Amino acid sequence: MIQALAFYLFAALVIGSGLLTITARNPVHSVLWLILAFFNAAGLMLLVGAEFIAMLLVIVYVGAVAVLFLFVVMMLDIDFAELRAGFARYALFGLAIAIVLVSEMIIAAGAWSAGSLELAQRIAPTPNDMPNIQAVGGLLYTRYLYLFEAAGFVLLVAMIGAIVLTHRARSGVRPQNISEQVKRRPQDAVRNINQPSGQGVEL
Amino acid sequence: MVDLSQYLPILLFLGVALVLSSIFVFAPMAVARLTGAHKPDAEKLSEYECGFPAFEDSRSQFDVRFYLVAILFIIFDLEAAFLFPWAVSLKEIGWAGWGAMMIFLAELGLGLVYAWKKGALEWE
Amino acid sequence: MIGIQHYLVVSAILFVMGVLGIFANRKNVIIILMAIELILLAVNLNLVAFSAYLGDLVGQVFAMFVLTVAAGEAAIGLAILVIYFRGRGTIATDDINRMKG
Repeated sequence: MIQALAFYLFAALVIGSGLLTITARNPVHSVLWLILAFFNAAGLMLLVGAEFIAMLLVIVYVGAVAVLFLFVVMMLDIDFAELRAGFARYALFGLAIAIVLVSEMIIAAGAWSAGSLELAQRIAPTPNDMPNIQAVGGLLYTRYLYLFEAAGFVLLVAMIGAIVLTHRARSGVRPQNISEQVKRRPQDAVRNINQPSGQGVEL
Repeated sequence: MVDLSQYLPILLFLGVALVLSSIFVFAPMAVARLTGAHKPDAEKLSEYECGFPAFEDSRSQFDVRFYLVAILFIIFDLEAAFLFPWAVSLKEIGWAGWGAMMIFLAELGLGLVYAWKKGALEWE
Repeated sequence: MIGIQHYLVVSAILFVMGVLGIFANRKNVIIILMAIELILLAVNLNLVAFSAYLGDLVGQVFAMFVLTVAAGEAAIGLAILVIYFRGRGTIATDDINRMKG
């Protein structure tokens, strides 16, 4: 009962905030609705017991990806009203396609539940005696070890690509050189002299 | 389906947090409204000296360099996400899993060295 | 009782909403990227739902990989967007066809 209630709450919120993400006038609001959608999707995943993925969704999507989007929206000085021109026309066309697509998908889901499709047997049955995160780790680092390394390469390429694309060395700035500053000793900078009177200072 | 009763403490915590934070927001407003005079005019409501306007466009521009920091944060966030299940299941996965994670860490360490050498972490 | 069909319907609607977002905001690359994130979220939801109802953990492992790729995609996509904006001063998709050659 409570599960059904929680499911319908999360499902309604995820769909509602998804709709507002794509229709919001202000892109900042769009990003915030996206964050709400992520939170509720995490709730849906929590309901079926995928606790680790749910928390990962909150950490990675809400904590990093959505913030990145927010950064870009804030950073670029764009007239978003101009970009919205023709929204209604395109939306009408898109709505027709969307209705066709969603009905196809729902029919397909119904066909699966009617038993007309046979699914292969399980590869890694969910163990009952250990927490979700431990079971995921046990599978990820044994059977899918190479995929995990490939994910590492994807991250490396993303990092280097982002640096190559966005970083530019600025000319004409004098960055702080901390090691030079720390290395500087008093004898390099200070001179003690016994200044005779009546003579100018030697600089 | 999981047993939702194990999330009851979190729900209680959220409820307490919500109640406390709304008290801290609304109690001063209510007290101020009940005790003080309430005669606003345009001059009084405008921002005072170096104050910011309270309502303006929610977008405000800032530098591209923050973006690079955010990207590096995403990458290392995911690295940390992969570390959690590894740490929990280290007993089952054995040396192969341990070595794989070390290679993974070395890959991202390489990325960090690249970022460092390229000066992406500098803030001139 | 909530069955797998419920989850499939929710993720189908979310997926289609992402597609609709791409159609409706076809001039604004930032919203298109957000719609792609919505699509990937729907895919993840589907993977996790099947994983839970079939009692097979593989779906959750693959959801992790999808998450990784999505983060990389967002980082690179937005980086391209930033340098494109720097060069052109606009992000309207109609102008991007000038990239060829």
